[in-house]
Formats: sequence, structure tokens, C-alpha cells
Amino acid sequence: MRTNRTTTMVAILTTAFTLACVGVFLLLYVNLRTAAGWLQDDVKIMVYLDDRLAPDSVVEVEQRLRGDRAVASLLFFSKEQALGEFKAQFPSESHLLEGLGQNPLPASFVVALSPSFRSPDAIKRWAERVRQDSGVSKVDYNQDWIDALATVIRSIELVAIGIGVILSAAAVTIIANTIRLTLFARRDEIAILRLIGATTSFIRVPYLLEGAVLGALGSALSLAMLKFMYELFRQQMRTMGRFAGLDNLIAFFPPSVCLALVAVGMGLGVAGSFVSMRRFGEAKA
Amino acid sequence: MIQLIHVSKQYDQRLALSDVTFEIGKGEFVLLMGPSGAGKSTLLRMLIGAERPDEGQIFVHQKNVTTIRPSEVPYLRRKVGTVFQDFRLLPKKSVFDNVALPLLVQGVSSADIRRKVTEALRAVGVEHKRDQLPAGLSTGEQQRVCIARAIVNGPVVLLADEPTGNLDPALTSEIIELFKLINARGTTVVVATHDPLVMMQVNRRVLTLSQGRLLPEQRVMG
Ligand SMILES: Nc1ncnc2c1ncn2[C@@H]1O[C@H](COP(=O)(O)OP(=O)(O)OP(=O)(O)O)[C@@H](O)[C@H]1O
Ligand SMILES: [Mg+2]
Repeated sequence: MRTNRTTTMVAILTTAFTLACVGVFLLLYVNLRTAAGWLQDDVKIMVYLDDRLAPDSVVEVEQRLRGDRAVASLLFFSKEQALGEFKAQFPSESHLLEGLGQNPLPASFVVALSPSFRSPDAIKRWAERVRQDSGVSKVDYNQDWIDALATVIRSIELVAIGIGVILSAAAVTIIANTIRLTLFARRDEIAILRLIGATTSFIRVPYLLEGAVLGALGSALSLAMLKFMYELFRQQMRTMGRFAGLDNLIAFFPPSVCLALVAVGMGLGVAGSFVSMRRFGEAKA
Repeated sequence: MIQLIHVSKQYDQRLALSDVTFEIGKGEFVLLMGPSGAGKSTLLRMLIGAERPDEGQIFVHQKNVTTIRPSEVPYLRRKVGTVFQDFRLLPKKSVFDNVALPLLVQGVSSADIRRKVTEALRAVGVEHKRDQLPAGLSTGEQQRVCIARAIVNGPVVLLADEPTGNLDPALTSEIIELFKLINARGTTVVVATHDPLVMMQVNRRVLTLSQGRLLPEQRVMG
């Protein structure tokens, strides 16, 4: 009984460490995505207007943009405003424009897209579409930057999935081994149950439950370890002046995700005990 | 109730049963005789689907045990009570819990379990030991607990493998009387034994196995 308890503890701890490794990546991924989301929210798209456009047509373009589902907000930026902005930003260069006699800068609309159209792909599609519109000379946004961010997120996603799959398999194996020890210790009892007419599911349910409990406890413990590390990390950031303030930007998993992760751990545990029962061959008479 | 048709079974080159054919009707009391190693236990194990024959067909309670689906085996075993040669009691469970086991796995209510287990324990005469562990019981008492467990379900067939193997003559006849009583209530009883004393006492139909073969039947007259 005592050795059994030790085995159980060891199984829960190893499972917890294994899942915590997955958790670190998941946490990194979630936070990066959130950060990327903020950055993407700030993306402004410049829709430059044809310089020869009559005022009526400008209104037409504006109407069209306002009617677009993807557009969240719209700001008109006249030729004069563009010039003023240029002069404000590059005072020493302003004589360059004056030499031209007339204002070469085009009028534009500064567009912010609604949340569901802010993914890199959606931005690209939207820009491509609006570029074809009449009266529009050019559509501009920081494409390289957004694409780079999308690539980074996608690679972290892949790494997280890869590590998740491998370490989940490890967790399943750990739990399977623990259950197998229990099955072995109870093999006589299992044989007797079979002989007196117990169904396979009657015999299996307790071990499936045991696996579920091991998995859930391991997962919960891994979350506790992660939370501890997370708080430690934030503390560290706060004390280092350079990153002060940044510690409020990183977040832990919301409760719903924590619950889902415990459920996943439970599922892994059930899978583990299923694997060991298959291998143990108690399904035989 | 029980029918074997040309049943054979081999364990790595050794014949345990060879071309065995017989039939046992409902309500019969049959002795399965034969020396050690004759194949008695093998035959009984086959009747509850714990062993498959290499050849032949076996029918128990209208079910073809040779082709039965694994998922149906538990339901067959609930109809056939078995007293195992090696008892197979759970050492860490009380007598009551051991006898309750076949009911427990069927999901019988605890009130019904209490009633039926008490009845079975009374029938075999070990009611007073209900809270003890099997290890604290004499061999004869353990044997009775096994019988109680085999009949607690009200099976249609009772199989007993060497149920008097470790008992003195007085206890042997007590157990035999018990089987006769169970048989008198309509349960088909098959007892495997090599003990001639049992044969004298039972005085019923005898099937004799010798090196896996069934010898021509005889009827012993007492
Ligand atoms: N699981 C097994 N593996 C290999 N051989 C077996 C197995 N079970 C039984 N045998 C062999 O089959 C033959 C019949 O065995 P069985 O146990 O049926 O005999 P028995 O009549 O019940 O003997 P006993 O009176 O000693 O209980 C024996 O030779 C035995 O060694
Ligand atoms: Mg035997």
C-alpha cells in the first residue's frame, strides 16, 4: 500500500513536470499572440486618393469605405494636412516641397479595420481589393512587418504543437506504467472478477477513473508550478527597472483555459490507463 | 443444459481432452471422475468460456460457448455458478463481501445483496463467519464460502471442481448433502472429483475421464 502511494506520487509529479514544459510554451504562445494582437490592432492602412479626383468623387470614396463591413473607423487626411504633417516631421526638408510650387502630397483616408479583419491575411486581402477601386491610387500599410510577425507566431505555434504532442505522449506513458503496476498487483482480483461474471467495463472503470484522477492532478499541479514561475518572473521584471511596467502586460491562462488544461490532463490519464489495460490483456478470459 | 460434441484440447503437444462427447440434462446431478491430470478442470473451465477447445462444439444453457462473443461471456457466467479448485477468494475482503461479489458486479441493490448473501451463507452454514477474512477460516469453511458465492446468484448450473479435495470424510458428506439440496431445488450440478468416497455418497450419473478421454458410462448403485 505504501509503495503504491509512492508510485502514485511519483507519477503525479512526473506528469506535472512534463505538462509544465508544455505549459511554458503554451504560455509563451498565448502571450505572444496577445501582444501581436495589440500591435495588429494599431495597424493603420493608408488609402491614398488619386490627385486628380474631384471633391464629389472623394465623397464617393468615403461613402464606399464607410459602407465597408471591414472598416472600423475612417479619418480623412487632406493634401494640406499631409503637407503640414510633413513639415512638422521634417522641418529641415520642407524647402524641398516648396520648390515644387504646388503640393505633391496626395489626400488620403486613414483606415482602421474592425477586429475580425485584423489578421495578416485579412489585411492583405482587403488592401488588395481596395487598391482596385476607382479614385484610389495606392494602398499602404506596413506589410513586411505584419508578415514577419505572422511567421513568428506560426513557427511558435508549430513548435508548441510538436512539443505538446511529444510530451503528452510521454505523460500518457507515465500514467500507463503506473496503472500497469496497479493492474499487476490486482491481477488475481481481476481474474476472479472475470470468472464470476464481471463485464469488461465494470473491471475497467475504476482504472480509467484512476488514470483520470492521476492526469487531472498532474495537470493541476503543473498549472500551480507554472503560476508560481510566472509570478516569480513578473517579480523579477518589476525589480529590473528597464522592464518595469511590462510585467503588467504578460498574463497567465484565464480560468477557462486552466479548466480546459485540467480536462486535457484527465483525458491523457484516461488514455494512459486504456493503453495499459490493452497491453495488460485483462480483456482475455 | 450442457452438451459437448467431439471436444478436443491440447496444451503444447499434450492432449488434455480428446474427442469428448456427452450431454447433461436440466436438473441432473453428474459426477465428473478421473485421476489427477485427466482433464476435469480443463473441461469445467471450457464450460464457462475460460478456455477454448481446439476442436468441437460446447453448448451451455442454449449458448454455443465455442463461438460466443467475448462481451457475452460475463452473462453466461452469471447463469453458471462455479466452485473453483483453488477457491479464488479475495484475501482482503470479508466472507460477506466475497459472497456478495457476483451480485455486486451485476449492480444488484445493496438491500438485495444483504438478503441474498445472508440466505446463501445460511444455506452453507457459515453465517456466523460473515465478517471474517478467508484466511481466518478452516479449509472446509472456505470451501463453503466458495459454494455460497457460486449459488448466491441462483444459477441454473452449478459447477464444482474438487470441492472436497481437502476435507475429511465427515465434512465431505456434509458438502455432498449441500449439493444434493441445491440440486433438489432444480439447479443442474456437475461435480469434478477423483474421490471415490464422493461417488459412493452421490450415487448418481458418473462421467469418467482418463487421460483426456471419456470412458463408457456406468451408473453406480448404492
Ligand atoms: N494452463 C495449462 N497449460 C498447460 N497445460 C495445462 C494447463 N492446464 C492444464 N494442463 C494440462 O492438461 C492436463 C489436464 O489438466 P486438468 O487440470 O484439467 O486435470 P484435472 O483432471 O483437473 O487434474 P486434478 O485432479 O489434478 O485437478 C494436465 O496434463 C495438465 O498438466
Ligand atoms: Mg483439476
